[in-house]
Amino acid sequence: MIQLAVRSLRHRAGGFVASFLSMFLGATVVMAFAAMLDTAGGAGVDDLSEETLVTMATVVGGWGLVIVLFAVTSTMTLSVRQRAGELALLKSVGATPFQVGRMIVGETALVAVAAALLAVPLAAGGGWLLLEMLQETDQVASGLSYAFGPAALSIGIGVTLLASLGGAGVAARRATKLRAQEAMTAVTIEQTRMTRKRTIAAIVFLAAGVNCGIVTATVFDGKGIDAMQTAGQASIWFSIGLALFGPVLVRLVTAVLAGPLRMLGGASGYLAVENVRRRTQHVAGALMPIILFTGIATGTLYMQSIENSAPPAASSSIPAEDVAAIETLNLVVVGMLSVFAAIMVINTLVAATTYRRREFGQQRLVGSTPPQVMRMVGMEGVVLAAAGVLFGSIGSIVTVFPYSLARTGELLPDTTIGIYLAIVSVAATLTLASCLGAARKAIRMPAVQAVAV
Amino acid sequence: MAGYDTSRAAQALRLVGVSKTYGSGENPVRALDGVSVSLAAGTFTAIMGPSGSGKSTLLQCAAGLDQPTEGRVFIDGSELTGGSETALTKFRRQRVGFIFQQFNLLPALTVMQNVALPLRLAGKKVDRKQCRSILEKVGLGDRTNHRPAELSGGQQQRVAIARALVTNPSVIFADEPTGALDTRSARSVLTLLAGAVREFGQTVVMVTHDPVAASYADSVVFLADGQMVGTLAHPTAEAVAERMTHLGDEVSLRRVVGA
Ligand SMILES: Nc1ncnc2c1ncn2[C@@H]1O[C@H](COP(=O)(O)OP(=O)(O)O)[C@@H](O)[C@H]1O
Ligand SMILES: [Mg+2]
Repeated sequence: MIQLAVRSLRHRAGGFVASFLSMFLGATVVMAFAAMLDTAGGAGVDDLSEETLVTMATVVGGWGLVIVLFAVTSTMTLSVRQRAGELALLKSVGATPFQVGRMIVGETALVAVAAALLAVPLAAGGGWLLLEMLQETDQVASGLSYAFGPAALSIGIGVTLLASLGGAGVAARRATKLRAQEAMTAVTIEQTRMTRKRTIAAIVFLAAGVNCGIVTATVFDGKGIDAMQTAGQASIWFSIGLALFGPVLVRLVTAVLAGPLRMLGGASGYLAVENVRRRTQHVAGALMPIILFTGIATGTLYMQSIENSAPPAASSSIPAEDVAAIETLNLVVVGMLSVFAAIMVINTLVAATTYRRREFGQQRLVGSTPPQVMRMVGMEGVVLAAAGVLFGSIGSIVTVFPYSLARTGELLPDTTIGIYLAIVSVAATLTLASCLGAARKAIRMPAVQAVAV
Repeated sequence: MAGYDTSRAAQALRLVGVSKTYGSGENPVRALDGVSVSLAAGTFTAIMGPSGSGKSTLLQCAAGLDQPTEGRVFIDGSELTGGSETALTKFRRQRVGFIFQQFNLLPALTVMQNVALPLRLAGKKVDRKQCRSILEKVGLGDRTNHRPAELSGGQQQRVAIARALVTNPSVIFADEPTGALDTRSARSVLTLLAGAVREFGQTVVMVTHDPVAASYADSVVFLADGQMVGTLAHPTAEAVAERMTHLGDEVSLRRVVGA
């Protein structure tokens, strides 16, 4: 019983760490930017500075809401799934689905409040740094005095709570639908086809991405930085669409890599291929943040890099003073997205791999050496990283090529490939390190004990 | 040792003064206390004893899944020496098969793939015909492409038996193989194990707490408090049950006296 409690607590702590981190970072960034509203409300702020400050706070606040909502939904769903046994136990002693849901939302609310409050000092400092930077780069007047007040607190805490509770609500709904039995057998009799809803959503997102790309290359051709309005979104929508098609993409990449993996990887390669095949849905879940990270980071950073080396366009409607502010926003939003995507990649993969401890134990009892298990996990990681990087790169194309066309008349941007290589390396390293690190830890436990769990 | 036909040349399993102590701090648990036993090839032995008497520990030490604190273990004449998990795994691959209470089939693999896995992991060529014929022997010739989750408990355990047989190991170890099964499935599993011994000369060591299961074996070894406290040849369910009751008395008596 004590063992059960400890185990559940450990799983729980793990699940909450990622949720907490998402909330904490989200709260910090949103609050720091919301402090720009407090600053803008101060005495003697000129119109131009006020406008810049307000735009920054609103854009980052909006993105923060969406990103934290996604992150909390993802991390809470995972932690709830790991507690399926505990939740089933609660239900079997008479807890209604409503009560279970309330417990999940309640726990999340506690974590969110703690995260938001702990973020206050960091956000206050961050806001100050942000204003300094805006002043140094002449985006706002240098005479402004920094203020951190009601707007920062209410928006920062409000956005964090709203996103967290929204995410917990979704997770709770999924949890109460999931029966313990299903949770345990999900691996083997998982649904192999995508639902209609998901397919339609994926197509809509892909179409939106393509549409933004086309508009960028046609309507905004020669209009300078104005083209960012549509170009920036293109890779976001397209990457989300691709990520939703995850199960199909996983099957595609597995079909291509199955031959080489089996040939080069021996028994480990064979097992890796079978595992990925039988677990397309799970793998697709881990694939999603990798595609989003690669696609959005590549798209946005190259868009900015093209912009920085392109000549200013005469017909742009955006005043030169705002160009720097746009760059700042691009970098902040991409930075935020990247950090959250990284947390999601690590969290998803570590949780999924740790969850397989029993399976690794079973495999070791049949005759797998630890290096064979590690090689298998490594090769599964390679499939995942390859799929994520490949489709993330495809996702970025609808931003990069149209923007390059609109700004320079050339399809291929004439900028460094270094950024792309860096993004790809980060994505691949995160994926492999998370899988292998968690697997290493999972097989430290003696096989007999691991299967008894 | 009493009750064993020592005239057989090959000892499939030999334990010499094997002890196992868990933990080293305040309360070390001596799970095994100087167990010595020899099992001839082609025999079916049941290990019985009260819960916590060290049956699973004995099995794990004998099978090379755990290292004894003291003593030596020989499987098919080769001594199990300490080493990395990788070294132990390679030692086990050729000599040992396992059957567990919880089947422990890999959920992502089909029945056929599960049975062939030990061969694959050992880098051997997989003979599908041989795998199929073993599956037919355990009565699952028509289920080769099913996943474990699509089978009943009894069927899963029969897959596990096929998987244990496929490498033709020196010893098959089974820990409560019928513990999670209904009476009928249990009987078919026990019949298969006994059949493997009689027909192919397999050596089987089975931990159980069920006197009926033990009666399928050629002989029974009784454990109490980590020590061997007796054997019984040609066991019947009644005789085993009788001994177990006395074992209970004996143990509680010992605890009272020894305290
Ligand atoms: N990994 C372990 N760590 C500590 N104590 C253990 C461990 N495994 C078994 N024991 C202890 O050793 C004794 C024998 O256990 P076990 O071999 O599982 O008995 P049985 O299988 O006969 O029920 C018990 O007292 C048990 O609590
Ligand atoms: Mg036991």
